[in-house]
Amino acid sequence: MLLAKTLTSSTFKQALIAIATFGMIVSALFGYVYLSTSSYVRGRSDRDIMMEHASLQGAYERSGRDGLITEIRERIADGNFANNVYLLADPSSAALAGNLREWPPDITAANGWIEFRTSQALPGAANRPLVRAMLQTFPNGDRLLVGRDISDLDSFADQITMAMISVAALLFVLAGVASILVTRRTVGRIESINATSRAIMQTGLDQRIPLRGTHDEWDRVAENLNLMLDRIETLMGEVRQVSDNVAHDLRTPLTRMRGRLEKAYHGQRIGEDDQTLIGDTIADLDAVLRIFSSLTRIAQIETQARKGAFRTVNLVEIAGEVVELYDAAAEQVGTRLTVVGDHEVLVTGDRDLIFDAIANLVDNAIKHGRAGGQVVVANENIDGKAVISIADDGPGIPACEYEQVFKRFYRLEHSRYTPGNGLGLSLVAAVAHLHGARIEMLDNSPGLKLKLWFSAPVR
Amino acid sequence: MTGGHRRILVVEDDPETADQLVGSLKTSGYQVDLATSGNEALSRGAAGDYAVITIDRMLPDIDGIAVMRQLRDDGIAAPVLIVSALGEVDDRVRGLRAGGDDYLVKPFSFVELLARVEALGRRSDTIVKETILRVGDLALDLMSRTASRRGKEIVLFPREFQLLEYLVRNEGRVVSRAMLLQHVWDLHFDPSTNIIDVYVGRVRRKVDGQQAYPLIHTVRGVGYSLRAPG
Repeated sequence: MLLAKTLTSSTFKQALIAIATFGMIVSALFGYVYLSTSSYVRGRSDRDIMMEHASLQGAYERSGRDGLITEIRERIADGNFANNVYLLADPSSAALAGNLREWPPDITAANGWIEFRTSQALPGAANRPLVRAMLQTFPNGDRLLVGRDISDLDSFADQITMAMISVAALLFVLAGVASILVTRRTVGRIESINATSRAIMQTGLDQRIPLRGTHDEWDRVAENLNLMLDRIETLMGEVRQVSDNVAHDLRTPLTRMRGRLEKAYHGQRIGEDDQTLIGDTIADLDAVLRIFSSLTRIAQIETQARKGAFRTVNLVEIAGEVVELYDAAAEQVGTRLTVVGDHEVLVTGDRDLIFDAIANLVDNAIKHGRAGGQVVVANENIDGKAVISIADDGPGIPACEYEQVFKRFYRLEHSRYTPGNGLGLSLVAAVAHLHGARIEMLDNSPGLKLKLWFSAPVR
Repeated sequence: MTGGHRRILVVEDDPETADQLVGSLKTSGYQVDLATSGNEALSRGAAGDYAVITIDRMLPDIDGIAVMRQLRDDGIAAPVLIVSALGEVDDRVRGLRAGGDDYLVKPFSFVELLARVEALGRRSDTIVKETILRVGDLALDLMSRTASRRGKEIVLFPREFQLLEYLVRNEGRVVSRAMLLQHVWDLHFDPSTNIIDVYVGRVRRKVDGQQAYPLIHTVRGVGYSLRAPG
């Protein structure tokens, strides 16, 4: 998981680009070193051959063919010249002197540099040694070959190449490993920041990003983010304090108001009209109070304080109780309300809140579904998730409104005049969020199907 | 505690609410003492023998829940009704856990407060172990969980029976919608719909339909009351 994130991270990609650039520079450098080293070594060997050739040519010019033959034989007998190859041949290519037995068959040139492999074993040389040699044809048709076994040079070049390739490979491996380690560390820090952010979004503002005490730039980022979270938490606390105070300060006068109205309602009255008037005012006041308490209730759920009271509850049981409660309401509009699905779908949560959420959804389904239609509540265990869905066969809602309906006081155009205050789905959303559940809206064609995906409790 | 024991301690700091509370309780035939602070509540509570104590959650000096805890520690066993303006479920649950017997959220209807005080006062009376409850011509067999009027059986779902039983046990008293939700469904919140009315409506059709007289009556703005005529 972390490795996958490491390999896809931008830091790692940049490291790869750096390694590639570095690799090209190193290859160019090594290539240059190789070329100059090998040409230097060859140059030296060529110079030796040329000197040897010049000295033999001198011998020929001084004392003719015989002198040269003598000179060559001396050289062959001398151990200091063991690496050298000599051959003097007459115009018919018969060997006159030298340590090569025969004139190399493919050579036709008369003068200049040649390279050939000989099948003849030379002292201290490899099998089929490579020979570089200089040719000269004398005026009488004799031909002189002075050369050197350069197999050694070749294997020297091979060794240099080998060394350079190994060093380059090692460098690449080290650079690769180093960049993975560095990236992994970076990704690890970013991941811990990400994990905390996700936890905060899910459970509330009480978590902080851990510091490593290294006082590096990551610790500073974490410190600043933590300070920001502190500040947000303080502000949220103040806002909550204010709304708590507002709630308290409003409720006292409202209680008095309701008390007076009630007294008036039950006391001496001027007429029957007044009683109706007062009764209606009480009813309106109660409606206002219900909206008020729904709002504070949603706000309170959003503070996540209730997570402490979570227990394992069976969705099927709660759904059954909701359906039982709403059975009479469904019957009133001729709607068939049924529960289907698995017998046990467990979630960790707050029974009252889940009941309230399901009740709101069933209430909506009955109210906004088709009179005389069907409302189906289904409980299922799907891939380790606990799922409850509530489906009706009414007009449904357009897909573009799916997000909107969870906003407070949002009401669809065609339901503006049905009873309700536009807070039901906000409460459902708050409850779902508290439980870490995902809400999915589907077209039931016809109607709306709303699914709540809870993660099943850890056993 | 005797049946005629009807003394109530009201702990409330807001003068007008206190006046209204004391007034409506007195009208219903209770003797009422008022304490306007937590300390006063503690001294009065320890001195008097009350049938019910109502305590406001927010008091100027001591928190209402702390007062109740202290009273419990002092050995005062009278049922406590917590009146809270905070109103949220957490506070209700905390209040009940701390030893409260019931709670009511501000702003409340005084009829509802009376209903709850009545219910609490009755709770402290001795509970008679009966197997058949009767109101007028209605009989509830608690063993077989069946109901009948004039010997003719009424077919009820289990939850409907529970609801009827609760109404019968509170015969003649007003039972609020919130009390029904709390005692029949164990729900500590208001589903903010008329769902209870619809539900009671169905029970009422089953119980009162084609009978000589109705038993279940609506109390406007509060809830229901079950009583036989006369």
